Amino acid sequence: MTAVIEARGLTKSYGATHALDNVSLNVGAGRIVGLIGPNGAGKTTALKAILGLTTFEGELRVLGIDPRAQRDALMSEVCFIADVAVLPRWLKVSQALSFCAGVHPRFDRARAEDFLRRTDIRMTSRVRELSKGMVTQLHLALIMAIDARLLVLDEPTLGLDLLYRRKFYDTLLNDYFDKQRTIVLTTHQVEEVENLFTDVIFINHGRVVLAAAVEELGQRYQQLTLAGEQAARGRALRPFYEREVFGRVAMLFEDRSAAELGALGELRTPSIADLFVAKMQETGST
Amino acid sequence: MNSTFEAAAAAAPSSEPSPAHAATGRTLLMLVRREFWENRYLWCAPLAVAVLIALSPLLGHGELHLPPFANADSRVALSTLVQWALLIPLSLVMVICVGYYLLDCLYTERRDRSILFWKSLPISDRLTVGSKVLVALLVVPLGVCALGVLAHVVFSALIDARLALRGVPAMLGFNLLEWFRTELALLLMMLLAMLWYAPLSAYLLLISAWARRSPFLWAALPLAVAPLLERIVFGSHYLWSFLKYRQNGIWHTLALGHTHIISHDRVLPVGTLLDDLNFREAFTDVDLWLGVAVAVALVLLAVRVRRYRDDS
Repeated sequence: MTAVIEARGLTKSYGATHALDNVSLNVGAGRIVGLIGPNGAGKTTALKAILGLTTFEGELRVLGIDPRAQRDALMSEVCFIADVAVLPRWLKVSQALSFCAGVHPRFDRARAEDFLRRTDIRMTSRVRELSKGMVTQLHLALIMAIDARLLVLDEPTLGLDLLYRRKFYDTLLNDYFDKQRTIVLTTHQVEEVENLFTDVIFINHGRVVLAAAVEELGQRYQQLTLAGEQAARGRALRPFYEREVFGRVAMLFEDRSAAELGALGELRTPSIADLFVAKMQETGST
Repeated sequence: MNSTFEAAAAAAPSSEPSPAHAATGRTLLMLVRREFWENRYLWCAPLAVAVLIALSPLLGHGELHLPPFANADSRVALSTLVQWALLIPLSLVMVICVGYYLLDCLYTERRDRSILFWKSLPISDRLTVGSKVLVALLVVPLGVCALGVLAHVVFSALIDARLALRGVPAMLGFNLLEWFRTELALLLMMLLAMLWYAPLSAYLLLISAWARRSPFLWAALPLAVAPLLERIVFGSHYLWSFLKYRQNGIWHTLALGHTHIISHDRVLPVGTLLDDLNFREAFTDVDLWLGVAVAVALVLLAVRVRRYRDDS
């Protein structure tokens, strides 16, 4: 399997802060990767590096292309939504379609129109007349009509209500994603999309804290819930995170056998959100 | 026949319109259209002025107090004058619009972050910035010239119709050859202006690509402060003279000031206007082309700044 993104030792500093500190990662084709981290962790900088929008040190290949050197060639195979606010406010829907059709060799206008017909967006509207949710739908319509190999989404549903968010990800998964494509996504609403991901990458203070396929997580991490009085026995097995819930204690373990833990209490695979919180605390978040 | 063609094609592969070139052309055309979608004042303002000029003969109420030009040649000469004069308000509006546009175009896209949308499409920074230069220095000026022609035609027809209604003989004579010569001269002057002011235009574009805020202030400040500083520190005024030279030097070379277009009691003979202008000298002026070279460098710099600026 050829790698869609191959990064070795990406480093980028803004003054004294390391936005990226020796980041290495690999993303294969046909994956949906969640790039997750707290604010200022370096997610957006990493995406900008992948899209050739910023300078950095280190080695990076996206679809076999160095984004610094051949950004224009790269962008005919890569799409991105930076966040909801970037479609220019003066743009008419019909103009957006004409423009993309005029400049993008892989844009399928009929497909975009077909998608827009299923929304309340009118061709004659300007972006400034649309609601935030509709702007995102329009952007999604444009992106989905492009036959790209890599789609990069940076907080695409920021500021949208639950209905639009749900619709956005459903459309993405059902109408767009297939095994030829790769999606890299950052979001704050981890709980909502965690069953979307095939892979997760946690990033904190510019470093990769965890990078794994979702199916591996169940083998590597366990969440043990046990009664308060049993907590000492759990702690003896050195969890990397614990928290108290209604008098019971939830502990997260890495690479412990299920048999060993199962004897102590209730065992399950931690959710990505729980794992994220635990990993961020372990690596010293804010 | 075929083999000759193939040989020629092999000898000059770049002259063959390849699919890649055609695609670039299509993209450029789309980019130019985009500029007029976004900046509607680029065509609205000149159009409004042109309409106003064209219809102005309908607005006046007073009598026309002009010496009666019995002579057909004088009438043609007067028509030529009108042809020139009408382009002046149009050009003024154009200067304001284009100047504003150049300072604004690469700044606004960063301020509203729409640059991230434009950059998500496979368009090079060079082509994008190039389209803006093309709009400012060629498309709008040519459009303004075309509007000038239309405004002149309507204006003349309305003036003469008004006079005819009152039984006064027509004032503006039309002569196709003179009309064409004048139009050519106006076009050449427009072209000359675009080349002469290209470094200033490129400077505005660069500020637009570079300024984090208030590009207008950043553009004006060096032009105002640098000559002042030179005066205070060195007591000299080279910069000031240089700026003044860049402001109107080429028009001296063209000898525009030496044509006495109209004197007190008579209109100059037909053709005087054009014959007095030194187009050959102006277009071969070394400073003109040095300026163009500087402009090219500044535009390339603006392309680089747009490519690597990372503040949106």
